Amino acid sequence: MIRHLLKLVWNRKRAGALLMLEIFFSFLVTAVVATLGLFCWRNYRQPLGFSYRDVWQVAVDSKQWRGGEAPAAAARDTMSRLLRELQSLPRVEAAAGTMVVPFSTSDDVMIDDSGHGPVRMDFNVVSLDFDRVMGLHLVAGRWFGKGDEALAWQPVVVNRNLARAAFGGADPIGRRLGVPDPKGQEPERRVIGVVADYRKNGELAGDGNYLFLPQRQPGGGSGHLFASLLLRVRPGTTAAFEEELTGRLQRIAPGWSFAVTTLAEMRASSFRLRLAPLLTGCVIALFLLAMVGLGLTGVMWQNLLQRTRELGLRRAAGASRAALLRQIVTEQLLLTTLSVGLATALVVQLPISRLAGALPGAVMAAGLASAMAVIYALVILCSLYPSVIASRVPPAEALRFE
Amino acid sequence: MLISHLKMGAKVLLRRKFFTFISLFAISLTLLVLLVATAMLDSILAPRAPETRAARTLGIYRLGFEGPHTGHEGPVGYAFLDRYARHLQRVETIALFTEQQGAVSYVAGRKITSYLKRTDGEFWRILDFDFVEGGPFTAADELQANPVAVINQSTRRRFFGAAPALGRPFAIDGQSFRVVGVVRDVPIVRIVPFADVWVPISTAKSSTYKHEALGNFMAILLARSRRDLPAIQAEFRSRLAHAESPDPRLYTRIAGGADTSFEALARLLFASRENDAHAGRLRAALLTAMAMFMLLPTLNLININLSRILDRAAEIGVRKAFGASSWALVGQFLIENLVLTLLGGALGLALAGPVLAALNRSGLVPYAQFGLNLRVFAYGLAIAVFFGLLSGVYPAWKMSRLQPARALSGRSS
Repeated sequence: MIRHLLKLVWNRKRAGALLMLEIFFSFLVTAVVATLGLFCWRNYRQPLGFSYRDVWQVAVDSKQWRGGEAPAAAARDTMSRLLRELQSLPRVEAAAGTMVVPFSTSDDVMIDDSGHGPVRMDFNVVSLDFDRVMGLHLVAGRWFGKGDEALAWQPVVVNRNLARAAFGGADPIGRRLGVPDPKGQEPERRVIGVVADYRKNGELAGDGNYLFLPQRQPGGGSGHLFASLLLRVRPGTTAAFEEELTGRLQRIAPGWSFAVTTLAEMRASSFRLRLAPLLTGCVIALFLLAMVGLGLTGVMWQNLLQRTRELGLRRAAGASRAALLRQIVTEQLLLTTLSVGLATALVVQLPISRLAGALPGAVMAAGLASAMAVIYALVILCSLYPSVIASRVPPAEALRFE
Repeated sequence: MLISHLKMGAKVLLRRKFFTFISLFAISLTLLVLLVATAMLDSILAPRAPETRAARTLGIYRLGFEGPHTGHEGPVGYAFLDRYARHLQRVETIALFTEQQGAVSYVAGRKITSYLKRTDGEFWRILDFDFVEGGPFTAADELQANPVAVINQSTRRRFFGAAPALGRPFAIDGQSFRVVGVVRDVPIVRIVPFADVWVPISTAKSSTYKHEALGNFMAILLARSRRDLPAIQAEFRSRLAHAESPDPRLYTRIAGGADTSFEALARLLFASRENDAHAGRLRAALLTAMAMFMLLPTLNLININLSRILDRAAEIGVRKAFGASSWALVGQFLIENLVLTLLGGALGLALAGPVLAALNRSGLVPYAQFGLNLRVFAYGLAIAVFFGLLSGVYPAWKMSRLQPARALSGRSS
């Protein structure tokens, strides 16, 4: 049966080729949108690794330019005083300095290629209380402590992903994390603790490797001052506290600028930023599918009209209407399977998973599968109505059809 | 001749209304999406108030500092621009200003976040803001560091309600200013003029910016005439080649240039640390994106057109039997398809208005003013014609190849 139908499809290959091309591209578009959507959904359900509720962020513009000269001792001192001021406020449970702000779009990245292959990681320089402010969940080892300055090496804390990527299954505590240093000035780095996770880019972003460095000098890393101060406020603290907060900081550093936002606000805007392109893609894909669906229906209708005599002959020879319907739909499904198969082969053998970053294979498979379901449903839907009409023509009339 | 073609085309379209509906639906929605995208690009790039002199304006927005181990890319410092961007030949005037930055005010316990931009007096001469109250601050204000500010209408509403704001004081980022002018809102996508509050550069909290080679300053240059732009760009580039590095240990090379707004966008996307802005690459990328998007709709329309050949078989047979050449038939079908796509384009244009208005209202882009104008209309027309030709050529060629005898008997292949 299938073989016979294949022959029928082959006989109409010219007209079929263009249809196949259309289905091919529809499938690709659907697969891309479905995969990205599923990726976001999967990420959303993973734990964030920190708690953003009741955490406020004070962006500190110290008028010192990143990439410029190292900050002066006076500026470092001011930054430390700001931090102490925040910690002394009764409404503030904990406060810490950070170079990279959670939910922001800026990243600091370094690559460790001392092991088997290059391991790419985001990193951040933070002050002591960062783990308390963000509610990090330590799974092994310890967080930075007061006595760390005395160590001859630099302690670092990594997330589970990074521990796995850099050391495989081995216990990461005490292991060296080699980052090439062109000047050879930096001390070697050893892992002292592992946190469950820290997904700085928010729930919608994929898994990543993360590394925490302790502040090297008061008020920041070796080169720069903290870009912002994070504080965990007592539950129930309202926005009215912001004005008092800004005023206090402003008195300590009159020449600097401060802007307070809550991490909840930053999370909301990060969601908007990440969802807007996805939603645009969805709308465009839906519109393309609707258009393709209508087009397919039209083309099917016209094609079946051309085959009225053939179908009439089959009915005259005793085929039931259901058999006819089955034949037509199966023909379309064959055509679809060919194009979808080609497209899947193309997608699978392309190194797309590497292009899209850490796109897990399961997500990609689920994306392809749901795209297949959508395309098959669309094709069946589009071929049903025309075939019902075509199979309804009485055989006597169909045989006379010109 | 043309009239009779069109009449015939209209007859065929009306005969199979379902097909006509499918074609028009597909064409109009495709062109609608392209028109909306064009209108958005137009609102970012095309010259319009306050950038009425965009045709002879160049901007120095971001420069790349390149070193053996590290790189830095972004706006530059006041001192750098002061030293290397001023006194270029053929330049009428130059304005320095900062990137807009979020700044906070508290009014009666309520928090107001505004975008603050610090500018000099020349800024208001190069750009053509629409003042609803008062006027701009001047070079004298900048020289004496007067605490004066121009605000936009939305900011006036936030601070002062419906009342006029001229001469009234307000506080922002811990500093006090007096309102000297109120302008109409400018969309955030116009990066050069955009802000909520504009104040003189010299009112900055500290004056260290005057000596900094790295910072958050940009410059726009107004050329005497449009023809002078290449010469000005060349002169600035040669100055950059010999400019002193802000930190010779870190950076050994400075890349970038004075760009038109299109070049600036291209540089941001493709060539942040190169001398050439690669405007051609942006043009190619835009055309590719358009072609990628049009691929499916085109295939769809080709398939619909192809499947309708049978509809026309008798007509084609008659015309061929009476000696019409293949070319004449190809021409006829192409024209018909063009008319159909133009019709779809008109529908798309009619739909684009409400869609853009909804986008503006949605507040996705602050102060968005996406809209249709003659330029967008012209682009839309070009896109519709292109689409019509693309989707019509192959089916028309197929139709013209029908054998007259077979066509007359109603068989297509």
